[in-house]
Amino acid sequence: MQNQMKSKKYIKSLLFAIGILSISCEKDIPTYLSYEEYEFSTVDENGGNWKPILIENGSALIIKSPDNVDSDTYKNEVSKLKEAITSIQPNQQKAINYWTNNPLVRWNEITLELIAKYNLIPGPNEDGSYTLPNANNPEGPPAFPFAHPPYASRALAYLSVAQYDGLISAWHYKYLFNRAAPYRYDNSIVHAYPENNIPSYPSDGAVIARVSKKILSAMFPLEVAYLQELEDEHLQSLLLSGSYVESDISAGTTIGDKISELALTRAATDGMKKAQTTKAVSDSIKAAAFERFGWQWENLEIPVRPVGLTPLFGKVTPWNIENIASVRPVAPPKFDSAEFLEDVAILKNHANNMTSEKRRISNFWQDGTGTYTPPGHWNRFANEFIVEYHMNPLRSARTMAYLNMAMMDAGISCWDTKYYYHYPRPIQMIEGFKTIAGTPNFPSYTSGHSVFSATGAEVLAYIFPEKATLVRGWAEEAAISRVYGGLHWTFDAKIGTEQGKKIAQLAIDKAKLDGSD
Amino acid sequence: MICKTNIQLLRLFCLIRSKNKVIFNVGLILLISLNSLSAFSQSPSDALLMPSKNICILVSYESGNFNQYWEGNYLRKNASIGTLSRKTITTMAAIGIIKDLNAYISLPYIKTASSEPNGGHFAGAKGLQDIAIAFKYRTTEKTLDSGDLSLFTTLSFATPSSDYLSDYMPYSIGLGTSEFGIREIAKFQFKNGFYAQAMVGYFWRGYTEAERDYYYNNGSFYSNIMDVPNAWNFEGGLGVWLIDNRLKIEASYIGIRSTSGDNIRAYNAPQPTNRVNIDRIALSAQYYFKGIKGLGVLAYHNNVVNGLNTGKFSNSGLGLNYQFNYAKNINAEPNEK
Repeated sequence: MQNQMKSKKYIKSLLFAIGILSISCEKDIPTYLSYEEYEFSTVDENGGNWKPILIENGSALIIKSPDNVDSDTYKNEVSKLKEAITSIQPNQQKAINYWTNNPLVRWNEITLELIAKYNLIPGPNEDGSYTLPNANNPEGPPAFPFAHPPYASRALAYLSVAQYDGLISAWHYKYLFNRAAPYRYDNSIVHAYPENNIPSYPSDGAVIARVSKKILSAMFPLEVAYLQELEDEHLQSLLLSGSYVESDISAGTTIGDKISELALTRAATDGMKKAQTTKAVSDSIKAAAFERFGWQWENLEIPVRPVGLTPLFGKVTPWNIENIASVRPVAPPKFDSAEFLEDVAILKNHANNMTSEKRRISNFWQDGTGTYTPPGHWNRFANEFIVEYHMNPLRSARTMAYLNMAMMDAGISCWDTKYYYHYPRPIQMIEGFKTIAGTPNFPSYTSGHSVFSATGAEVLAYIFPEKATLVRGWAEEAAISRVYGGLHWTFDAKIGTEQGKKIAQLAIDKAKLDGSD
Repeated sequence: MICKTNIQLLRLFCLIRSKNKVIFNVGLILLISLNSLSAFSQSPSDALLMPSKNICILVSYESGNFNQYWEGNYLRKNASIGTLSRKTITTMAAIGIIKDLNAYISLPYIKTASSEPNGGHFAGAKGLQDIAIAFKYRTTEKTLDSGDLSLFTTLSFATPSSDYLSDYMPYSIGLGTSEFGIREIAKFQFKNGFYAQAMVGYFWRGYTEAERDYYYNNGSFYSNIMDVPNAWNFEGGLGVWLIDNRLKIEASYIGIRSTSGDNIRAYNAPQPTNRVNIDRIALSAQYYFKGIKGLGVLAYHNNVVNGLNTGKFSNSGLGLNYQFNYAKNINAEPNEK
């Protein structure tokens, strides 16, 4: 009896302990990069003279002159702003803290999230056929787009280029008109972010908000309403931060509208629409490779996918490559060569002797379906470095523009190589071979991860020299991760890395001449 | 002071959970720690108790497979995975500590694989899954005119015993997280040998560690830590003891309901954060030999009949159990009913 009572008491206290433990272990798992507003390391007052990508120079997009700060119009704007600030709601304060004074990083993260959301490969229909996402019927199913690595690299490139050109324009007018922030004219205005002397007309935040909404709405048409909400919240937080009056913001959105239109015009005619081919075109590409080399990659899924991923992405208009064939690597080894046979042995060895370290590396860099893809991974690193180095929005945009132009070019060059050589994957060539990750639906040579990562690393090493050793190490690891996973040959990775470095150099050579260094 | 101690304890617990890197990935499809023991007589979730100073050792082999799974609530095939098989060998000991209190310890070894041809050419996974300990206590025992009513409470704790990767679904062998469970069990034994029992349980799961530091769970997560949903567990069964209480036959329903989580996305791999619901029906038989005292065999079969983010599993198992009195070193009588 006593025993029983003791046991019951024990059980009760154990239950209590369990309850406490389970409640207290709730974690906040981060859903975005954790950073706060910061003081910019430079203001770049000559930024308006930097060479943009799509437009001739910083004065190419016209906005009207601002009202003088002594004018009634401006005074009226300031008093409206003060009134708005006095009634800031908690959710508005939260928005001010979230967007920070470098919202470029936030919009990049939003892009990465949309990529991860839409990076889903369509599955087969009941009858074994496949339906492809269709821009003219975005709801699908399947939903448009399938945000695979080439799609992701392209979305990021147009976003970043438009942001960069928009901000060069903004900087041009800021220092042309020199209208300071309202908190500098009226010290009763509380400014939410660290002070700086960058003029406020036009608002750089508004350029970023408008460009991001417009480019992303075109790239992710099902997200138009969501993106509008984000833009509204962002524009309002710009005002309530005390940094801008209404006319600063509308001048920024005017620039945003104009540069977005130019960027989307280029996008409409860059060849992406034709990248996913019909089966007939795909078969002829495959037959051409077989004729040239005596081999051809096959999709081994069940049911077989009739067409690989974007066979003509290699024909999309690059940013910095003059002649796509000039950056195409030499042919991969023939099946009877010693090099090839050695690679078969290496891959079998990895598969038969998988270690937790090799598995970890394979998984860390996998960035497969449902994730932000390898280009997204390198954007994430760039976001972290931008914050670490306290870059202002203009420098951040330059970083992202050169990174993402190079990354899209890396994709174009890699895809050109893939479908020119049409080289088989390890699972096609090695009997009974098993992988620890999904084999993608496109030819093996060269490795997309390797080209993207080497390109990303080199551009980041140029912009952040202190990170050079680190990022190059990451690129090497990303490349070999595909060999560990069983998805690529070692020469796919090795030659792909060299290819990526070349592509990056083209972007770096251009960046060095843009007047910012 | 008390507070501080508690916080330290909590931290320790959280740490343990997040460091558990193993590969228990059955989760989605696999639901292991909840169920690997439930087919045994002498398990944390049944309504049996052994006499004190008795030990029962169980070894079982289970073979399960599915060729359809629920992506959200859409039942689909994936020919590139083919038929996924999962083979489990479980070793378990049940110990009668004092009257009305049993302890359990168990450890499964699991191996998963796709049938050939495997269009994706994915490698399966294998390894030791979670070690589980449990205590079952009889809180009530009442004799009524029509039979005997018993109530039990079980507390359990399971944690990965090897470095398996949970974020490798559907091949992973477990959820890769620690789990606290509480079960309340009621049983009514009729005088004619039939019995009815019901169980409700709740399982607190911790976090599991992936090998990537970004994943999508209705939004971005910049972390390698994944929150594994807690779950309710329901069971209801009808059974009968036959042949001088040597043969037990039971039919049961087992339900699992996650309390949170996301759906598997279209034609995408499952992940440990998924909301998993399972409805399963099961038949089991257990026989104690007359000649060899304490030796029994068991056989069972169960089918998942409905679910959410889980495989449409069909499982069959066979086991051997041997019960003996460790104090007197003589073989015990079959369990109390």
